Amino acid sequence: MATFILGLPYDSNVQPTPDLWVLLALVGLPFAAAAATPLVARALGNRTAYYAAAVAAVCFGLVVTLAGTHGGAAVSWVGPLSVSLGFYVDGLATLVGALASGVGVLVFLYSAGYMRGEPGQPKYYATMLAFMGSMLGVVYAGDLVVLFCFWELTSVASFLLVGHYSDRRDSRYAARKAMLVTVGGGLFMLVGFVLLASTVGTYSLAAMLAEPAATRAAVERAGLLLPILSLVGIGAATKSAQVPFHVWLPDAMAAPTPVSAFLHSATMVKAGVFLLGRVRPILVGDHWTEIFVALGLCTMLVAAILAVCASELKELLAYSTVSHLGLIVAGFGFTGALGSETAVFHILNHAAFKAALFLVAGIVAHEAGTRAFDDLGGLRHDLPITAAVAVVAALGMGGVPPFNGFYSKELLFEASYEFAHHAGGLAWLAPVVAVVGSVFTLAYSLRFLAVFFGERPDTLGHVHRAPWSMTGPPVALAAIAGVIGLGGITAALGAPLAPVESFVGWVVGATLGPEAAGHAASFHYYLPTYVSPAVVMSALAIAGGIVCYLRWRTVRWATRGLLGALPVLRADGWYDGFVYGANHASTRVQRALWTGHLRTYAAWTFVGAVALAGFGYLATGIAVPTAGPTLGAGLTIILAVAAVAAVAAVRAPSHVAGVMALSVVGFAVTVFFVLASAPDVALTQVVVETVTFVVFLVILDKLPSYYGRIERSRAARDAVISVLVGGLVTVTTLVATDASPDAIATYFVENTVEQAGGHNIVNVILVDFRGLDTLGEISVVAMAAVTVLTLIVMRERGETP
Amino acid sequence: MSDAEVVLALALGVLFTAGTFLVLRRDLVRVVFGVLVLSQATNVYLVTMGGIGGVAPILGHGGTITDPLVQALVLTAVVIGFATTALLLVLVYRTYQEHGSIDLDDIQGAVR
Repeated sequence: MATFILGLPYDSNVQPTPDLWVLLALVGLPFAAAAATPLVARALGNRTAYYAAAVAAVCFGLVVTLAGTHGGAAVSWVGPLSVSLGFYVDGLATLVGALASGVGVLVFLYSAGYMRGEPGQPKYYATMLAFMGSMLGVVYAGDLVVLFCFWELTSVASFLLVGHYSDRRDSRYAARKAMLVTVGGGLFMLVGFVLLASTVGTYSLAAMLAEPAATRAAVERAGLLLPILSLVGIGAATKSAQVPFHVWLPDAMAAPTPVSAFLHSATMVKAGVFLLGRVRPILVGDHWTEIFVALGLCTMLVAAILAVCASELKELLAYSTVSHLGLIVAGFGFTGALGSETAVFHILNHAAFKAALFLVAGIVAHEAGTRAFDDLGGLRHDLPITAAVAVVAALGMGGVPPFNGFYSKELLFEASYEFAHHAGGLAWLAPVVAVVGSVFTLAYSLRFLAVFFGERPDTLGHVHRAPWSMTGPPVALAAIAGVIGLGGITAALGAPLAPVESFVGWVVGATLGPEAAGHAASFHYYLPTYVSPAVVMSALAIAGGIVCYLRWRTVRWATRGLLGALPVLRADGWYDGFVYGANHASTRVQRALWTGHLRTYAAWTFVGAVALAGFGYLATGIAVPTAGPTLGAGLTIILAVAAVAAVAAVRAPSHVAGVMALSVVGFAVTVFFVLASAPDVALTQVVVETVTFVVFLVILDKLPSYYGRIERSRAARDAVISVLVGGLVTVTTLVATDASPDAIATYFVENTVEQAGGHNIVNVILVDFRGLDTLGEISVVAMAAVTVLTLIVMRERGETP
Repeated sequence: MSDAEVVLALALGVLFTAGTFLVLRRDLVRVVFGVLVLSQATNVYLVTMGGIGGVAPILGHGGTITDPLVQALVLTAVVIGFATTALLLVLVYRTYQEHGSIDLDDIQGAVR
């Protein structure tokens, strides 16, 4: 039975809370469908795509039914840790959830054409569905632990999908890279979550978001704001491929193109910025702005330059995605409503135009057989519909009015100008970097478009028309982008596109900090009809972009030169250096530790024990006593005999001499037991010593009188280890004998006669109180005897090989 | 005044040093020697922990008795130590039969 344990959000009286069962169905359905995919694929074959699209459509429907609700719903999961299987619905979740399921429908339909006849389709569709479920889980998570689990699941799904062509080396490399970077970042995020939860006292995100101001105050009181901010920021930056973690995204293009369109442009990489939007109400402040504005704008510029250097369609789109994610991160970085509006509106716009462009790139690669810019041109005659889609989407990407990307970029300019105007000084870099980044953005957008215009290279063979299943989805996406763009024109004429505006306004409201809440319930965008700083910046960016495109060769020569001079921009070095370095180091450690020599293992065990115990003594700063009661003369003498005999055993020139010395040690220890009032032990020891001596002599008779010559260096090394061990034992004995713990012996003293009827307490313990131990001891002796028999007697009978 | 057993501590230090040095040798028989010295030393250490000042733990003799529990433990350890020593020696013997050597460098070099 489900139990609701969460409090209601603060404005629950305005909007109804979501139904837990709808949320469970929404997140669970894709996973269930993924599990069933192998069976379905056997029946449907190439038409499995439509099954997956239907599942995505149902999810989209559920997202829409949830759109009117707000708040959390949870089932108790790990009660003692206050972890629950909690969900949370608000504008931001609805936006990204709608992208995950809506783009999912289109991508699955597209896959029907793209993946036709490809091997491994059941795996492909099952993983894609599981990814969609994980993404919906991330988006609707109302608990930090739930968020983390689904977050890592998206990384796993991405790993499988990037490595879809698992027989290709570059696919495997790319898959591993994507996995290591995003999962590694996820672990930083987890630490941040644990810090956050331990400060606030609950893992419930819904509870934190209901009281953002109180949560923030608690975090600040604990002095953990900056650590939490940085750790969560690293998680978001790795997932959203921010500099310097952008290394994995271009390689991830080894995946089939629908995967790139779905995971690596519209959804998974949005998980990082989603996370920023999610925690923004709690953590937004001065540090937040410094970190994320710098990170986002840096990424925007560096990735735009890298995109200009790209030599093929998907590489360009990958770097462009990184660049636009930087724009979104910077948007969330700015305090106040304007920044949030930039980020949220651009999440929507970017998903529309970038997914469309990826699908366009897929069509070009599929029909023309190449993705290299040098081999492509003039495709508008062969692929007219695709070319039209590309125009709408690419101009949106370039930020040309009146296409959709223009409006969100305009908001960025406005936000960065306001920020600089407000903060002054170095902050003026923000608008400058934004404009320079946009110049490159428009330049590479036009370069992308040039594939469809100009001369058709002679090398390009016949290009097929793409089937409708492949052109339909990008047309739908471009239509959405186009309608949003037209909305700006109609708004300037006095008739805004109300559904888009109110939806974006609702989403923006979910990402605002407490100080700005209720500030931006209304969101408007329109084609500017007057001159403002942002308009000037846009004009500069567009003019610069066109000039750059006209001087393309020079620009590319310059950017490639810059890249050659500063290879750090590509940042592959740190990943390869780290991964291969770690591999190399572990191989060397393994070689040093795992030699196959008993001596090595023993040496490392001794050194490890000494190091650990020694560290313990040092860390606790224990005082070593150096004086104590004088021991009786007899004990002192017998201990000296044992010590001298032990040294003699070390120095013995032959085995027999060694056994003699050992025997002396043994009998000295016997006498010690007698003097230490342990008569029973002494009796046993006498018998054992005698028999051991005999066994030794019997065995030694069969062995060579070999004595390994001791190398000086090795002897010195072993001597150091031995003295360390001996020293540690001395210290331990001094410390331990000085302490006087409560002895449990009094129990035996009091109960021996009464319960066991014996006066010799040691005997009573052995045969009565701890009788089972003695049985175990006898079993060991018996097993040893059987083993000895097996090893000697049965071998001589020829029963073992 | 502390109760630290200085003489015992030093003697145990020497015993453990000798045992460790022997265990690190390449001659298999000396490794067995080392294991033996280490187990003897450990037994002495345990009995020391029970206190060596009292009278034998047999009721009816009067006086403070030493800890009987450690003595029972050590008694068990002595017997098990005997069993393992015998087994070790037989393994050494069998190793020599199989490899014709008790030099660990030879044997383990050959195995790898």
